[in-house]
Amino acid sequence: MAGGIELTLAPGESHALQAVPELLESVGTAGGDPAADRLDQAPYPDDPEAAAEFRRLMAEEMVQSRAADRSAFALTVEQSSRGVILSAGEAEAWMRVLAEARLVLASRLGIIEDGWEDDLPEDDPPVALLHYLGWLQQSLTETLEDYLP
Amino acid sequence: MTTTPRHDEIGSTEVGLDRPWNVVVWNDPVNLMTYVVYVFRKLFGFPEEKATRLMLQVHNEGRAIVATGPREKMEMDSFRLHSHGLWATMERS
Repeated sequence: MAGGIELTLAPGESHALQAVPELLESVGTAGGDPAADRLDQAPYPDDPEAAAEFRRLMAEEMVQSRAADRSAFALTVEQSSRGVILSAGEAEAWMRVLAEARLVLASRLGIIEDGWEDDLPEDDPPVALLHYLGWLQQSLTETLEDYLP
Repeated sequence: MTTTPRHDEIGSTEVGLDRPWNVVVWNDPVNLMTYVVYVFRKLFGFPEEKATRLMLQVHNEGRAIVATGPREKMEMDSFRLHSHGLWATMERS
């Protein structure tokens, strides 16, 4: 699978994607942000002490991991309307960034159950973006499957 | 819903009287099915068939145990699932 993953997006798509880093940076900057609750997980729902210890140990690594993905995304997204070749690692970073952005949008839209696709108006900008990011994430995931052993 | 760990590593790495932990992935309405299968294959090395079966269990039953083992390793697995945006918790096996 040498040669990487070629990605060419319509100018409107590329433009919409350039808003994603700002969207992700906004998480937790206002109080009561449901997106912060969704992203800031600890695996101990019934044990606040263990959850706090997990966060103490892992929070910085999570910040760095997400920052690396966002950086890879931001460096390549501007070129996407002219066509860009992503390495598998960069495509994975895109995939995770899109997943994260969709969780942010969905949590702020109050989506908590399956079936929201039928209930929310597709022309509402955040809903439209949620659908578009999902389509792109699906395409990238299907491409990356070929790189799995 | 089975409570039998489906994990392959159980038994080999247990120490003393420490009971192993399960990592549980929960259904959420946003993550794509294709993506969840990809993450299971990527993180755990599952064959596509097993990854798909676990994804469908999450989707249909609301949750699935995707790993069982020592606490520290299960915390790392949870972390990696979280870093991919999946909703994962731990419980005593």
